[in-house]
Amino acid sequence: MSSTPSGDEALEPFAVELHGITKRFPGVVANHDIDITVAPGTVHAIVGENGAGKSTLMKTLYGMHKPDEGQILVRGQEVRFNSPSDAIRHGIGMVHQHFMLADNLTVLENVVLGAERKHGIGRNARSRIQELSAQYGLGVDPDRLMEELGVGDRQRVEILKVLYRGAETIILDEPTAVLVPQEVDELFDNLRELKREGLTVIFISHKLDEVLSVADEITVIRRGTTVATADPRATTARELATLMVGGELPVPELRESTVTDHVVLSMTGVTVRSPEDRPVVDDVSLDIRQGEIVGIAGVEGNGQSELIEAIMGMRRIASGTITLEGRDITDWATLRIREAGVGYIPEDRHRHGVLLESPLWENRILGHQTRRPSVRGSWINRAGARADSERIVSEYDVRTPNIDVIADALSGGNQQKFIIGREMSGDPRFLVAAHPTRGVDVGAQSAIWEQLREARAAGLAVLLISADLDELIGMSDTLHVILRGRLVAEADPTSVTPEQLGSAMTGAGLDGADAHTTEGGSGAEGTNRNESEGGA
Amino acid sequence: MSNSGRRTVAAPVVLLLAVVLGVAATFALDLFLLWWAALLIGVTLAFGLVAALAPITPDERRIGADGTKEEGTPLHNVLVLPMSFILAVAGGLVSAWVLDLQLIEPVAAALGALVGSALAFVLFHRLAAMMALSFAAVLSAGVIAIAVTAAVLYFSGIAPFQTFGRMAEFGTRPDSMVQIINSSITYYLAAVAVAIGFKMKLFNIGVDGQYRLAALLAAAVGGYLVLPPVISQIVIIATAIVVGGVWAGIAGYLKVARGVSEVISTIMLNAIATGITAYLLSTDRLAVEISTNNIGTPPMPESAWVPGIPAGFLGSQREIYGLVFLAAAVGVLYWMMLNRTRFGFELRATGQSQTAAEASGVNVKKMVFLSMLFSGMIAGLVGLPQLLGHSHYYALDFPAGIGFIGIAIALLGRNHPVGIVFAALLWAFLDQAAGILPFDGIPQEIAVIAQATIVLTVVVVYEVVHRWGRRYQQQQIGKQLGRTVESSGEAQ
Repeated sequence: MSSTPSGDEALEPFAVELHGITKRFPGVVANHDIDITVAPGTVHAIVGENGAGKSTLMKTLYGMHKPDEGQILVRGQEVRFNSPSDAIRHGIGMVHQHFMLADNLTVLENVVLGAERKHGIGRNARSRIQELSAQYGLGVDPDRLMEELGVGDRQRVEILKVLYRGAETIILDEPTAVLVPQEVDELFDNLRELKREGLTVIFISHKLDEVLSVADEITVIRRGTTVATADPRATTARELATLMVGGELPVPELRESTVTDHVVLSMTGVTVRSPEDRPVVDDVSLDIRQGEIVGIAGVEGNGQSELIEAIMGMRRIASGTITLEGRDITDWATLRIREAGVGYIPEDRHRHGVLLESPLWENRILGHQTRRPSVRGSWINRAGARADSERIVSEYDVRTPNIDVIADALSGGNQQKFIIGREMSGDPRFLVAAHPTRGVDVGAQSAIWEQLREARAAGLAVLLISADLDELIGMSDTLHVILRGRLVAEADPTSVTPEQLGSAMTGAGLDGADAHTTEGGSGAEGTNRNESEGGA
Repeated sequence: MSNSGRRTVAAPVVLLLAVVLGVAATFALDLFLLWWAALLIGVTLAFGLVAALAPITPDERRIGADGTKEEGTPLHNVLVLPMSFILAVAGGLVSAWVLDLQLIEPVAAALGALVGSALAFVLFHRLAAMMALSFAAVLSAGVIAIAVTAAVLYFSGIAPFQTFGRMAEFGTRPDSMVQIINSSITYYLAAVAVAIGFKMKLFNIGVDGQYRLAALLAAAVGGYLVLPPVISQIVIIATAIVVGGVWAGIAGYLKVARGVSEVISTIMLNAIATGITAYLLSTDRLAVEISTNNIGTPPMPESAWVPGIPAGFLGSQREIYGLVFLAAAVGVLYWMMLNRTRFGFELRATGQSQTAAEASGVNVKKMVFLSMLFSGMIAGLVGLPQLLGHSHYYALDFPAGIGFIGIAIALLGRNHPVGIVFAALLWAFLDQAAGILPFDGIPQEIAVIAQATIVLTVVVVYEVVHRWGRRYQQQQIGKQLGRTVESSGEAQ
C-alpha cells in the first residue's frame, strides 16, 4: 500500500480485516462473503448504493450485531464483538449518520457521557479534549452548549467522542449526508489530519466524487457483497458507478415542461410555531401549479417537516392561509384534506406511511379509509381493497409474493413503491413527496422518478422535499431553498449546481460556509432522526 | 404446476374418501377397542390418506395466509403437519365426547371420526404456518404450565397426576359444566371489554369498577321500576351499558383532554366506584334487607328475569344463563367491528402506529375516546348474566374482581373473539375443578397457581414463537424474492 506513511508500517498488520462475512436478515439482502482489508493510517472508502449493505456491514464491525459467518481481525488478531463496547475496547469507534448528542449538554458533557472512567468529568477531561482537538485540528471548544453548534461542528464533536474513547479506527457512516458541500470539504480536511496522525478511517458513502477525493483505497459493495477494490488514482467515477450498480447510474431528469397556469396549491404567509413559540415555518408563500414539481432544498431540520405537516393538516398553523384549487383548507382536518385529493408520501415511511404488521392490502386502505374502492360506507370492502392492491403491486412493480404479506416483510424500496402507488390512487390533485427515494435501491429509485414524471405529465402538482440535491435539481421545475423556516432563495434548476445550492442552504456565500444553520431547527431535527433505510 | 399432465383426484373426492375411511375404520374398531382408541386410529388413517393423495390433489391455494409458499419448507414439515394432525385428532375426540352425552357410544364415536377426518383434510391443506405456530405456542405453554403446577404439587408432597385426575373428573361432571359455561359467559364479556382497549394499546383496568357500578344501577332500575317483560330487560341492559360507558368515558375524556394515563384514571375510578356502590348500597338509599345479614337492591319482579336454558343435554338439572346469546352477539359484533368496519380498521391502525394513523387522517383522540367508551359499554354488561339469570338483585355478595380476571383472559385469548371463548372456558374450568380439592385436603390455590402460570407462559411463549415465526417467514419471503430478483437481474 503506497499510501502508508512510512516503509516500516507496511509490515504492520492490517488495521481491520473482514473475511467471508455473511449476515442474513429477514426480507432484505444483507451481506454475504464480504472480504475487506484496511491498511493502518489510511482512509478506506466503502461505496455502494443505498441498500447495498454498507450500514449492515459497519454495524457488524462495530459489534451492533454478530455476523452469521466469517471472521473479523483487528491488528491481525481475530476478535468477537458482542456489543459496541467490545469494539471500542479494540479501538474501533463509529460516527453514526444521525448524531447521538444531547442538545442541552455542553460539548465536554457530551464527550465524557458514558466514558466517565477515562479521565473523569472535570479538569482532566477538559484538558484531554483540548489536547485531542488541537492534535487533530478539530477546533472544538469543550464549553460550548451543543444546541449552539452547527451540523459540521456537531460532527466534529462526534469524531472527538470516538477519539476520546481511544479509537484508532474510526467508522464514518455516510458522514456527508447531512452536510452541505462546503462543510464536506472541512470534514475531508479533518480526515486527512486524522490520517496524518496515524489513525485509520473507514468512510462509507455512495457519493463517488467525494470518495475519489478523500480515499486511499475504495471497496465497492453491490447487493451485499464486495465486488471490487479500486485505487482512486487509477479509476473514474464512471467506472466506480458501473461497479456499484452493475450498469449505468440513473440520473433524475425532467423532459419538456408541463407546467400550466392553473394554481393547485397556494400558500400565503404560512407560519408555524414550535411549542416554545419559535417560528419553525416562517411566512412561507408558495404557489404550485398543475403539472409542476416544486422542489424545496434545505438542510434537514429547517422547517421542511413542519411545512409538510402544516399542509397535511397535522400541525396547527399560527398564521397564513393554504388554499387547494381555490378552497381554503387551512383549518381542515387531515382526512378532509386527503379526501380533497392530496396524496402524501411521508418522509419517514415506517412512522407515517405503513402499518408494518398489517398485510399489504390493509395498508392499501390506510389514508383512503373513506374512499372507494377500499370501503363501502362504513364497511371495509375487502374485495375492492384487495383488487386495488393487486393493481398497485403490478403497476408499480412492488416485489412481493402476494398482497397478504405484512408490510414489514418487504424491503424499503418495495414498501416505498407501494406507498407511492397508494398515494397516486384516487386521482390526487396534489402530492406531497418527502424524500421519495430515501433508502431505496437504484432500480426502485428510477422507477419512482419515472412515476413522478408520469404523474406530472398527467397534471399532478407536486411538492418535492429531498436531501438529495441531484434529485432536487433533476426533478424540479421550480426550486426553493428553505433556511430556518424561511424560503430564502429561488434557484433555476436548469442552471444551478449542487455547490451553489449548498451555499444557499447554509445562508452563506460560496465560501465561508461555516454552518450555523440548525439553530432554528435543531429541535425538529431530533424528531427526524429515524433511520429509514428499509432495514438493510 | 405439478398436476399438469398427471392424473389428479378432485379435492371433494379426497375429502369424501378420507371421511368414509375414517368413519368406517372407527366404527369397525369400536367393536374391539375403547371408543377413543378406535377414533384415534380412524382419524390417523384418514389423515394418512389425505397426505398420501396430496401430491395428486389439485389445490392451488396451498399458500399460507401470510403469503409464503409453505409446502416443503422445514417449518411446514416439522410444525404444520404435526399440528394439523394433532388438531384433527383433538377435534374428533372432543366432538365425540360431547356427542356421547346425548347419543349412544358407537354413533358418537363415528360422528366424532367424521368431524376428525374432515378436519384432517381441511387442516392438511389449509392450515397456515402462522396459525399452526400459534396453536403450537398455546400447546407448549399449556404443557409448561401443567409441568410447573405439577412441580409445585410434587414439592408440596401431593401426588400431581392424581390431583389432575380428580380435577378433570370433577370439572366434567354435568353440574360443573353448566357452572363453567355460566362463569365463562361473564368472563367472556369482561375479556372482550378489556380486549377492545388492548387493540388500541389502551389498558382499561377499570372494567371492574365499570361493571360493578353498572350492575348496581341496573339492578336498582330493575328492582324499583316494574315494566312489562322484554321492555324491562331492554331498559335494564341499556342502563348497564350507559353506566359502564359513562364510567369508562370519564377515563377516555381525561386521556384525550388532559393527557391523563388511562391506567391511572381507571384505577382511581375503580376506587371511586367501590365507594359509590358502598354508599348507595345502604338501607337509607337503594338497598333493602335481603336476609338477616345481607342487604341489596330489591329483588326484581319475574317479568325482568331472563330465563335460562335447561342444560338437560349436558345431563344437568341446572340452567345456562339466557344471556349467553348476548355474550355471543357481543363476540360477533366485536369481530365484525374489528375486521369489517372502517371504525375497526382505524382502531387497529391507531393501535399499531399512532403516527401512521394520524398521517392517514384518523382522528386519534376521537378513537381513544370512543374505544374507551365502547370498552366501558361492554364492561357494563359483565354483571348482567348473573343479575338477570340468577341472583335478580345486587347485594353485598355480588361477585367482584371479574374485571381483573377479564384482563388475564383477554391476554390468554390474544384479544381474539374466538381465542377469548377458549380462554374463558379454561379459566372457568380451573375455577370450578379446583372446588373438589379441599375435600381431598389439597389446597384450592393450586388452581390459582395454574391460572397464573398459564397466563404467563402463554404470553411469553406466544410472543417468542410469534416473533421467531415472523422472522422465519420474512426470511422465506426474502429467499423467494431474492431468487426472482437475482434471475430478473441476470435477464437484463
